Amino acid sequence: MATKTDTSISRRSFLKWSGAATAAAVAGGQAPVLHSLAYTGEKSAGSEPEYHFSACGMCLNKCGLVARVENGIVTKLDPNPKFLKSRGMLCARGNAGTSQLYDPDRLKYPLLRKGERGEGRWQRLSWDQALDLAAEKLTKIGEEYTRCGVLFTPGSDMQSQFVHWFAEVFGSYNVTTHESNCLLSRNRAYLDTFGEVPFADVLHSKYIIMAGANRFESIITPDSIDLMTAMKKGCKLVVLDPRFTKTAALAHEWFPIRPGTDMSFFLAITHVIIHEKLYDEKYAQEKLYGLDKLTEHVKKYSPEWAAKVCDIPAKDIRRIAQELAAAAPAAMIYPGRRTSDYVNSTQIRRAMAIANALLGNWDKPGGLLAARMVGTTGPELPEAPFYDDNPDDRLDHGSAHIMFDEEGSFKHTRDAIIAGKPYPVKGWFTYKINPLQSVANRRKTLEMIDKLDFMLTVDIAMSDTAWMADLVLPAPSYLERQDPAAGLQGSSACACVVTRDPVVPALFESKPVFWILRELAGRMGLEEYFSFTMEEYREQQLRKLPDSERALREDGVYYNPSKLYGIYEGKIYKTKSQKIELYNERYAEMGLDPMPVCKPLRENVPSDRFRMVVGRNAYFTHCTTQNNTLLNELMPENTLWIHPNPAKKLGIRDGDAVVLSSKSGEGELKAELKKGIREDTVYMASGFGVLSEGLTNVFGKGACMAEILEDFTDELSGNMAMHETIVKVARKGAS
Amino acid sequence: MSDEQIKRHTPVTIFIHWFNAFCWFFLLATGLGLIGNEQLQPLVGTWWPSMMRIIFGSGEMLLVLHIICGLVWTVVFLIYAVFGAKQYVIPFLKEILAVVPSRDVMWLFTKQIQMTMGSKTLERMGKIFGFDAKIPDQGFYNVGQKLFAVPSILGGLVIVITGIIMALSNVCITDTSVVQWSILIHFVTVGFVFAGLLIHIFMASIAIGERPAFISMFTGTVPEEYAKHHHKLWYDEVKGKLDV
Amino acid sequence: MKTQLAMVIDSSSCIDCKACMVSCKVENKVPGGYWRNWVKQREPRFGKIPGAKDPAAQAEGCRTWIIQAPDFDKVKGYGDPGSMHFQPGGCMHCANPACVQACPTGATYKDEKDGTVRLNDKLCIGCGCCIPACPYGARYRHPEKKIVDKCDFCAKRRERGELPACVITCPTKARTFGNINDPESDVARLVKENKTVRVVNEETDTEPNMYYVLTTAPMNWPRKAESPTPIRWWASLAKPLVWAVVGLNALGVLVMFGKQLIIKDEETEK
Repeated sequence: MATKTDTSISRRSFLKWSGAATAAAVAGGQAPVLHSLAYTGEKSAGSEPEYHFSACGMCLNKCGLVARVENGIVTKLDPNPKFLKSRGMLCARGNAGTSQLYDPDRLKYPLLRKGERGEGRWQRLSWDQALDLAAEKLTKIGEEYTRCGVLFTPGSDMQSQFVHWFAEVFGSYNVTTHESNCLLSRNRAYLDTFGEVPFADVLHSKYIIMAGANRFESIITPDSIDLMTAMKKGCKLVVLDPRFTKTAALAHEWFPIRPGTDMSFFLAITHVIIHEKLYDEKYAQEKLYGLDKLTEHVKKYSPEWAAKVCDIPAKDIRRIAQELAAAAPAAMIYPGRRTSDYVNSTQIRRAMAIANALLGNWDKPGGLLAARMVGTTGPELPEAPFYDDNPDDRLDHGSAHIMFDEEGSFKHTRDAIIAGKPYPVKGWFTYKINPLQSVANRRKTLEMIDKLDFMLTVDIAMSDTAWMADLVLPAPSYLERQDPAAGLQGSSACACVVTRDPVVPALFESKPVFWILRELAGRMGLEEYFSFTMEEYREQQLRKLPDSERALREDGVYYNPSKLYGIYEGKIYKTKSQKIELYNERYAEMGLDPMPVCKPLRENVPSDRFRMVVGRNAYFTHCTTQNNTLLNELMPENTLWIHPNPAKKLGIRDGDAVVLSSKSGEGELKAELKKGIREDTVYMASGFGVLSEGLTNVFGKGACMAEILEDFTDELSGNMAMHETIVKVARKGAS
Repeated sequence: MSDEQIKRHTPVTIFIHWFNAFCWFFLLATGLGLIGNEQLQPLVGTWWPSMMRIIFGSGEMLLVLHIICGLVWTVVFLIYAVFGAKQYVIPFLKEILAVVPSRDVMWLFTKQIQMTMGSKTLERMGKIFGFDAKIPDQGFYNVGQKLFAVPSILGGLVIVITGIIMALSNVCITDTSVVQWSILIHFVTVGFVFAGLLIHIFMASIAIGERPAFISMFTGTVPEEYAKHHHKLWYDEVKGKLDV
Repeated sequence: MKTQLAMVIDSSSCIDCKACMVSCKVENKVPGGYWRNWVKQREPRFGKIPGAKDPAAQAEGCRTWIIQAPDFDKVKGYGDPGSMHFQPGGCMHCANPACVQACPTGATYKDEKDGTVRLNDKLCIGCGCCIPACPYGARYRHPEKKIVDKCDFCAKRRERGELPACVITCPTKARTFGNINDPESDVARLVKENKTVRVVNEETDTEPNMYYVLTTAPMNWPRKAESPTPIRWWASLAKPLVWAVVGLNALGVLVMFGKQLIIKDEETEK
């Protein structure tokens, strides 16, 4: 049989006029979007493909990628084989970046709200009109309510630092990020134990306990990849999770722990390690502070006691403690990230950090690692102006015992705005963040927005947050942007620097937030603070890394071969005692528990109710990307995971529509019967049940997590506590 | 024997006949060449499709040409049917559908015996079995020709329709079962018409006494004697017209 | 020795992130609603099992081949934690492809140069006969092109010296790709050093060129190769019938012609 010849007459060109779609695509800035969307049957005889480096922006990992561009269209995103942090991979979301770039739903030009907030009626503005309006509004709020009258909320992005800088020169202390919706309690606990927030050397570990973290679905590089490699080399994985995640599925052992009782488990582990003398005494003497107090403290926290609290058999707790200690120091309790779960979240992580400390795994292969030297330097920026009339503190000051001043607590900020106390905040600037979907208690967020005079959102899609804004400004995707350099911590994989340069020019009228802020600054007398170009800024960042510019250009990444283990050799720990603090004096001074004390759950789950837990999957990034055409196909809507036994009692079959309700709100979605979840627990993925009709793939599908969740917070850090919500589930139509 | 010739076929008829023949063979050759599947290929093995693909360059070239030829064939016949309806097509159809069962069945029977066993045997059989051994007179076309013409035309229609379905398969058809049935029906119909074609070719050109008929497909005329012998009824009609 | 491109998959490494599916979809412009590759999953069995060592043979759905940690015995907790399994797959570029046997025109064929099963998209008319012939459901009819489409091991990428999209993107590098007839290749080495299995339907063994290291699950999902009714009838009924009719007519013609040549009687004068 002869093989296909490209030069032969094609039946298709003879019989079908497929050029229609291509012909239509020869118009304006729409051309690249339409051209990429249109099916082009014939291979256009174009030029050779071009390849450009960038760093993925579909989530926070920033995996190095190589973009293939053909005839001006990005046709494929491939992993950068030289990118060690990702071990040369690109996940489903990374691959779907082309669908973000060419999303027919993406924002194209500045939009001004017409009608009521949330109505979805917009008027197109020119950039000049939009920026003039924004500058006018922000200045007016600054005059009427002081500069702190505007809240700035940047998301996790390489240009977010400019929003922080703008807020600073504008004069507002009220800056919140997603961190108080994520990992502040973990950071708090580890800072207050080790003096530093660690990274995990998963690759070289021999025993890992993962409590709540779901690394095979919630991808963090290199941890998620290294976990599989380590397991293949003999590392044992024990997963504690009320839900049978894919991590649980692939683990050696899974325990459906009672939600909220992790502290009891880890205190019991500590009890066994201490009482069976399974720790290195010399190490303890040299590096640990408060062991005597801890020994006394955990006496009562036996595995037998813990078993009653957390639903894990005592003999297993004991055995796991012994196995963990036997594998130490190449053993760890994985610190995780999203610790936005319970009102005592910080103390739970303290218990985990303390157990880690006893394993002696700090600074060692297979254990917890200090940050490696990357070498980027903050650029020299002029001193920000001071505004006399500003209040003393940020809005949420003092709302949690040990808040992170730079991050604050969104929940408390929101409460303050609603109350108008201690002082009013009337403006909100958001960038690449979606609080309407991500923050618990959506009704309160809507209530907060109601109090605002002016809300401005910079985003690439008409997210729920953009939908509620007054002024929506279109930002380009990461593939269209030039960004600063960013230093990345890759634990045992690397310490590296990435940056971005445009792979393709920005589509439509989208503009990066850096440009927007510079334009706003110009209109508000703050031009001197934004008088640098991106190139200059980057040069400043890389000024101590002479080879970095070449490496970034030729390899798409710069590596700093900095020390990995033993960084703390001969050094003190950044704590009061200069050692690893099992016992925290400062907490004691503040009237807080210096060592974690196991207390009853804030609320027990009534027999006819369920506890809602949240979690990630590998297809989406939190509550964004659900509208991405490629990713949406993997999960077109969210479902409620419910165990068949309670479902049966409620008359719910697999696929039935159910109504979910809590004290915060309610939603409707389909039930999915799962044996892999506790009978007292339910779960749903985030990002659905959207308000925005501008997300055409997901509008009308599923339910919104934020609508259901109550906004409890961790007492110490102000971190959102998303596992404290008790819900009612009923089959739709049932009385 | 008189040399006089009677006009039998017009230039248009001659053209359409040979045009049909040429297209048919080209379509048959390329069509068989398209059946690359050994299980389905009527000729043993895949030597024919392989050879055709080498000659024409590729399988897809074969397909393109098959469809082009098929379309040209269809279009030409459509033009012929539309513009030549009154002058050619309707008379032709009238002729080939004009069957007198008693006479024509007898023709088939007697002609068959005469061809296989000879005239003398026919006479003897007539005497033995008691039937008139004379071969009945036939019109412009004998019933044998009619028996080929009708299925050819119907078959041709089926072949064109199924062919168009297959050609449109990857243009606008969403139901593949329609295409799959068309593939089968196209093959079977071509096969049956081809079987008849073998007899037509033999009877119209090779068989004894058919030389004048064959020549008439070029010259357009047949000798009077031939017409009188083979198509008496037509001869009488023509002669009647001429005489009057 | 002839090149035979193949894939060896360690499905125990698969975390079902579906990167391979999305990567393939982007690279090959696979239309919405269709996939050229997949990740199958085997559901776990849940139930209270006492914490004793269970040999593999005892528990149905028990996974013991995966992650044989040398120092730690597998101990069951609540449920059967090891028995969920993800199995990546795609067109297996079989050595004995049923789809090639099903295609009327030979538009789908086994490429002699590299052993892949290819589609000549200019010869394919989209009749769809090959689709039910594939035990793995690897083929689909493109809704716009209206011809059949399937994995070609990323032929264009290979021309540029790149690996297939699904292989390069995988976080755990579960898929290994190469020429299985080259003893130096990774795939040949994996097959040599490990026990491997292939997923095959009981009634249709197309000799797939996709090997799973040690073993994989689910195993019983490929279906028997089917042929559409018209094609079955062609092979079993129509071909013999046409042969018979043509043959009889041809025989008759030959006999008449032969008689004509050999026997000269009064008819020749006419």
